[in-house]
Amino acid sequence: MKRLLMLLAAGFFLTSFFSVSLIQAETIKIPVASPFTGPLASFGEGVKNGALLKAEEINAGGGINGQQIEIVLGDELCDPKEAAAVATRFASDPKVAIVVGHLCSSATLAALPIYKEAGLAAITPASTNPEIGKSSPYYFRNVYKDDFQGDFLARYAKKVRNFKKIAIFYEVNDYAMGLKDAFVRQAKKLGLQVIGAEAYMSETIDFKASLSKFKMMRPDAIFIPGYAPQATLLISQARSLGIKCAFFGADGLDDEIMLKNPAADGLFVTTPFLVDRGGVMVKDFVERYRQKFAIEPNWFAANTYDAVGLAVAAIAAAGLDREKVRAYLAGISSEEKAYQGITGATYFDENGDCLKAAFVKVVKNGQWVSAEEQLQ
Amino acid sequence: MLAAILEQSSLFLQQLVNGITLGSIYALIAVGYTMVYGVIQLINFAHGEIYMMGAFLSFSLLSGFFGFGLPFGLAVVLSVLACALAGVLLDIVAYRPLRRAPRLAALITAIGMSIFLQNLALLIWGGQIQAFPQNSIPVFFSEPALLLGDVVISWLQVVILSTAIFLMLALHLIVHYTRIGRAMRAISQDKTAAALMGVNVDRVVSYTFAIGSGLGGVAGILVGLYYNAVYPTMGYFAGIKAFAAAVLGGIGSIPGAILGGGILGLAEVFGGGYISSSYSNGIAYAVMILVILVKPTGLFGRHQRDKA
Repeated sequence: MKRLLMLLAAGFFLTSFFSVSLIQAETIKIPVASPFTGPLASFGEGVKNGALLKAEEINAGGGINGQQIEIVLGDELCDPKEAAAVATRFASDPKVAIVVGHLCSSATLAALPIYKEAGLAAITPASTNPEIGKSSPYYFRNVYKDDFQGDFLARYAKKVRNFKKIAIFYEVNDYAMGLKDAFVRQAKKLGLQVIGAEAYMSETIDFKASLSKFKMMRPDAIFIPGYAPQATLLISQARSLGIKCAFFGADGLDDEIMLKNPAADGLFVTTPFLVDRGGVMVKDFVERYRQKFAIEPNWFAANTYDAVGLAVAAIAAAGLDREKVRAYLAGISSEEKAYQGITGATYFDENGDCLKAAFVKVVKNGQWVSAEEQLQ
Repeated sequence: MLAAILEQSSLFLQQLVNGITLGSIYALIAVGYTMVYGVIQLINFAHGEIYMMGAFLSFSLLSGFFGFGLPFGLAVVLSVLACALAGVLLDIVAYRPLRRAPRLAALITAIGMSIFLQNLALLIWGGQIQAFPQNSIPVFFSEPALLLGDVVISWLQVVILSTAIFLMLALHLIVHYTRIGRAMRAISQDKTAAALMGVNVDRVVSYTFAIGSGLGGVAGILVGLYYNAVYPTMGYFAGIKAFAAAVLGGIGSIPGAILGGGILGLAEVFGGGYISSSYSNGIAYAVMILVILVKPTGLFGRHQRDKA
């Protein structure tokens, strides 16, 4: 019985697949790969919505040289094995000239050699691992790298907040240590003093010993490269010890639990996109997004919206030839040639990594709000 | 110069307060290990999970997880009673049938119960860290009881320390001046002889589990409040630390467990504060290893031990 159902389901799936391609034989396919089901489906939802909204807009405006575009979703559950399978499917379709995806860095790294082998360009809207751009000339990135966040935070701390002395608590893992190293490197260049860096494990719950030590050194702020569950404990303990300095972190602290902690008021973190920043384009995007999906757009949606825009621009200029599409993207190499999207100006360095701004948001009365001063 | 000395001494004082608070929590958990070991020579590895249950039960009763919220005092008392009951049930279900089996069998069962309880909590409450709702705990807990220059002692730290001292004194009185305490001491000296003298061994063991688990539950609630974090694996790490404290003090000895907890807490905080937070656990365990090397039975080991 179960097998029969599976067969039926597979049959329906195949027929729907064929009927779509039969009816719309003239559409240009743009595959979007991300987790759309499974535990990280909520992240993928932003990706899907952003892509669909951009496609709708392009098609309403006449498509690419008169041809309509079609978003083909590839669900890979953020699983490297599934990502490789989805990548193979896209790479073996000769009508595919570019892929938008994947979301998780581990999935992107698994798909990367397959696209490279097939000579197929891909743009990830969300993977921040520094290795991605370096590993393939076919991979482009429409989001900042982890080391950029560390670098950016040092500049923001110094130039906007005018901090002088910073203490650091970092978790022992690749993500957090990369962030910390980038921060310290930039801080040194700027003359921002790092008075100490203490490590902790993911199972650490007591930070009072190191906090007491830092308290005597009177830092202006404490930087926490790590994740939200430990950071929320750390901040509460710091406040109970009477430490009044500021706290900040990167996207690892961008979590709902921070909003539930009254001690975290004033915490600021980096984010690639802010709803209330930017001009008419962003306002228009936010409005249409709310209208269509009845939720607020997050940064996954915004970055994917622009990544699909880049893919469309590449096909419009270079056609469906994979090599020409790659060459077009690689040619967007300076601020003058940049693609103007809702997340700012996107252009690529020699590794295909984009050099774009990060924004800062702050916890205020249990809500994330845009920081009043951003780093220009 | 004077300012520097002042600053250093206030840092020392602050670390001392942090260390004593942590140590008194370890001591409360360690006593549960050592009592059970003293009476039936079993290392109850599920004890850390009882402690975790204490934190989760009080969290649930306060936050309305079960559909109703209770006032703070009532929630705490009910959680502690539930932990005591859970300890007794644990013994009856998992350990009593194996009382005459080789000790290894009971030990493996204890590890199994630990894994079972941890996953049960994961199933009921989920894996993420949860915090007590702010309005459910007394406000004064987070206020400073003493502000001495840079040194801050919060009321919660005072509450933790005084609760620990009070419970230890009560335990001392129970073990030394009550019938059940005398029965515990008798069984720890010779189970067979005690049984022959008319001591109801099963009943005494149940009491031992109830008291030890109740103390573990209190520690769980205090830790949940102190760090404002409750999660299913919290018992695992705390359990290992407290077990180390019990061994350091000489397993089976109640004063040993208290002293062991204190030493471990102070070593961890001073190691983290003066050397590096990366080594704070390492330093705590190194102290334990050093003590065991010099005195293999622990500080209050076998020979002069006051078994209970």
